[in-house]
Amino acid sequence: MSGRQIMTADEVRRATIRISHEIVEKQAGTAGLALIGIQRRGVPLAHRIAASILENEGVRLPVGALDITFYRDDLSLIAQQPVVKGTDLPFDLNGATIVLVDDVLYTGRTIRAAMDALVDFGRPQAIRLAVLVDRGHRELPIRADHVGKNVPTSREELVRVHLEETDAEDGVVIERLERTPVVAGSGG
Amino acid sequence: MTAAPPEQGTGGPAAVVPMALPVPSVDAAPASQPSPWPHRHLLDLDVVSWPEIELVMRTAEAMKEVLARPIARVPALRGTGVTILFYEASTRTRVSFEVAAKNLSADVVNIAAASSSVSKGESLVDTIRTVEALGARMIVIRHATSGAANLAAEHFSGSVLNGGDGWHAHPSQALLDLFTLRERLPGGSLHGRKVVILGDVLHSRVARSNIWSLTAAGADLWLCGPATLLRGFERWAASSADVPGHGRFQVTSDIGRALRDADVIMALRLQRERMAAGLLPSVREYAARYGLNLERLGLARPDALVMHPGPMNEGVEIAPEVADHPRSVITDQVTNGVAVRMALLYLLAGAAANDD
Amino acid sequence: MTEVASELGLLVRELEISRAWLVDPCADREGPGEIVVRDGRLEAVTWLDEADGAGIEPDGVIVVPGFIDLHAHFREPGFEDAETVASGLAAAAHGGFTTVCAMANTDPPIDDASVLGRVQSAAAASGSPVELLAYGALTAGRRGDSLAALGELSDAGAIGFSDDGAPIRSPSILRNGLLYAGMLGRLVVDHAEDPALTDGAEANEGLVATVLGLRGWPAAAEAGPVGRGLAILADVLRDEPRARLHFTHLSTGAALELVRAAKAAGLPVTCDVTPHHLALTDTWIAGARDWAWQAEIDPWLGTVQDADPFDSTLRVNPPLRDRADAQACLAGLLDGTADAVATDHAPHTRVDKAVEFGLAANGISGIETAIGILLAAVDAGKLPLRRAIGALTAGPAGILAAGGWAGTRGLVEGAPANLVVIDRSDTWRVDAGSLRSKGKNSPLLGRELPGRVLLTVAGGRLAYEA
Repeated sequence: MSGRQIMTADEVRRATIRISHEIVEKQAGTAGLALIGIQRRGVPLAHRIAASILENEGVRLPVGALDITFYRDDLSLIAQQPVVKGTDLPFDLNGATIVLVDDVLYTGRTIRAAMDALVDFGRPQAIRLAVLVDRGHRELPIRADHVGKNVPTSREELVRVHLEETDAEDGVVIERLERTPVVAGSGG
Repeated sequence: MTAAPPEQGTGGPAAVVPMALPVPSVDAAPASQPSPWPHRHLLDLDVVSWPEIELVMRTAEAMKEVLARPIARVPALRGTGVTILFYEASTRTRVSFEVAAKNLSADVVNIAAASSSVSKGESLVDTIRTVEALGARMIVIRHATSGAANLAAEHFSGSVLNGGDGWHAHPSQALLDLFTLRERLPGGSLHGRKVVILGDVLHSRVARSNIWSLTAAGADLWLCGPATLLRGFERWAASSADVPGHGRFQVTSDIGRALRDADVIMALRLQRERMAAGLLPSVREYAARYGLNLERLGLARPDALVMHPGPMNEGVEIAPEVADHPRSVITDQVTNGVAVRMALLYLLAGAAANDD
Repeated sequence: MTEVASELGLLVRELEISRAWLVDPCADREGPGEIVVRDGRLEAVTWLDEADGAGIEPDGVIVVPGFIDLHAHFREPGFEDAETVASGLAAAAHGGFTTVCAMANTDPPIDDASVLGRVQSAAAASGSPVELLAYGALTAGRRGDSLAALGELSDAGAIGFSDDGAPIRSPSILRNGLLYAGMLGRLVVDHAEDPALTDGAEANEGLVATVLGLRGWPAAAEAGPVGRGLAILADVLRDEPRARLHFTHLSTGAALELVRAAKAAGLPVTCDVTPHHLALTDTWIAGARDWAWQAEIDPWLGTVQDADPFDSTLRVNPPLRDRADAQACLAGLLDGTADAVATDHAPHTRVDKAVEFGLAANGISGIETAIGILLAAVDAGKLPLRRAIGALTAGPAGILAAGGWAGTRGLVEGAPANLVVIDRSDTWRVDAGSLRSKGKNSPLLGRELPGRVLLTVAGGRLAYEA
């Protein structure tokens, strides 16, 4: 990992466990709950949370994966970001309390896109949000119900979450970008 | 142009498919990352590389998943004007494009224009300019003259997707054919598979575009038909070995030799005008010598697939029993057509947005 | 060089060109020399000896006789949007031409003396000193059914007869036309094309047309009518030894081979090739942009796209052929099978070209780019300078003289000055602004061509000055 480390593997593990407790606490149980991870790293996080809840409550919650590629509001990103095929919702959303899971909450646009997508699949009773890192700089009125760690950042920084499932080890680092981030839409 | 494509792994629906092209982080600045689909227009497949074709395939897989949802719609192209401009009558393809655009939430205008621009008074260039002035950012065009889509692209500031121009090209058809074959062939790869395109190759834009895509995919491609309908292709085949990124293909009028041990047979429509032009003695003779019937299908491998771009002349180039055969993937072609066209509209929109 | 400094059309009172490379193919001579023009006449042509001429090279300023174009379309009367006699002559002068032969496919066609008179009046009214000669149509209305008023046209000054734009469909009309024209001492120019084989054709039948899905134009469509014309000429000569047949814009090795054999057998046949058939090939339609004499291997279509495919400025009749045919045209020019280069200047309006390839009007606006193309071949070592200049001077002059033309041939002391001064060390960029023709339909737009025409003097008068 390069960059400044802001969460160690242990901290990631503890935050995940705490989030799983909070989720159950907020629901006053596990009834009606379902976890949906946002591709890519939200998915392994959602599975970890589900595993933690299984250990503590003895209940296996349904876990799905959501690909929001087609719901972004910026066409100029299409050519930059190839498709990540991976929407798999093997349960009925109608009436469920969905907890969206993502690794980093930033502008909020990803979450908005995710909610748009979910609505095309059914009508959940409620949608909540759990993220490992909240780095601020919201551009939309979106807030997380459950946060692993609040990390103030500047726009010139990049927050990278590493998970064993995708990156060989756990951890969160902050890197400085080489150039000032280009505002989406004024592509190269 | 790249070297021959690597062997494909299992293409079955599973977990996230490993990326051949890098997956940038959503947080990173877009300008610092590579652009996998660079083409503002899709006019022909000769300039599309194999990695780009694979990107279309992956995108189409994702679109197929969208089509399986209860609401088969995504907002990706919301607010984008897509005009479908068909100068040739074709219900199937025109509707396929319309459905594809609508599934992406685009604003669709569907024009079945009169054929032969000049004689009807409004030139193609005038029509393109009008369509642009009315807000179109993408045009899907089908026209009876080769090169018409190129002309449209020259005079349009948005994206042009060639829906079939004269004898020249039909890129979305070749891509949906490829998609269908990858889905249905064991192993999901065309590498080394014997694919035969059978019929009126000379007048076929489907054949020409498939030559580009199938040779890029590493297939052992054969073209077969009567000599009058293969005129000029032996010369192309002879030079095909030297084309970077593509393989050699074969040309023969010997249907037995062509079909023997084939993995895929693609039959092409025979138009009755060909008889009037003196190219063939009669439909009956064509059907007798080159029609794909059960006996000829038997020359191919036992698990060979049958394809046809449609619409079919059953009893001429293809026997009804063969069209309805369990190994016919003709209906898959139609279904996949929507997914592939969604993928193309989506990728072109992204390239156009990056050009601004 | 002292400045001419007079208005276009005015007599050149005094002009001295010292220390230039002179090329006079009519005298079969080139070398360092000096020119003096006084009161419109070429007063002195001085060839310098080795000592005085030291340091003068053929790659600097050259002086050559004014060019003669055997084949141009000036569109007036009837299609003045595309070109007028005035704009055509201005373009000709820019291209170094001092004599131009205009084809008869105007509207109305030049099939009688009155239309010929209109064209001649337009030339006079333009004030251009470039000599305009006109063909009469061979058949009435160019319809191919009956002979036009050939005698009347001949008396009115037509330099020959041609239905160009269209082939002469009927062999018997061709035979009678050759006989009658021979009697009048006038040339017959045939556009060799078999319409049955070219019906609906869009591009040369070959690899490019196959890959791009364009309807093919077979080489046999040219060779067939050439063979026919030669056989008919052979018959006609028995009755009229003055009969003369000229094939214009031959584009295939097969047709040139027939002419080669006929010449060897002593038939009075001549032919010309166009600059675009020498230098461009059908691969340009697929997006290539190299000269026919470059790359030995065909660049693969589609992967080498220097330009967008299906550029309608490339649609021409006869079509651009493949590399082998283009090289056969060059070989024909080198061995004398092709007597001349003629431009087949074919201006078109933007509207007529901004359509689908197969629907675009045929033709390239080429009278201004001819010398640049030939000099590119010279620069590439494919064509000797004297042969290039000869193809535009001695060659066409010989053909016209056989048809009764009495113009000056070469740099002749005492004759009215017909000369062109070209700076071979310079280039010029072909674009809509630099072209004098109304026809901007050139596939060379945006390209730098070698050799800049500095001065054109026609009949002792200033025709063009850079």
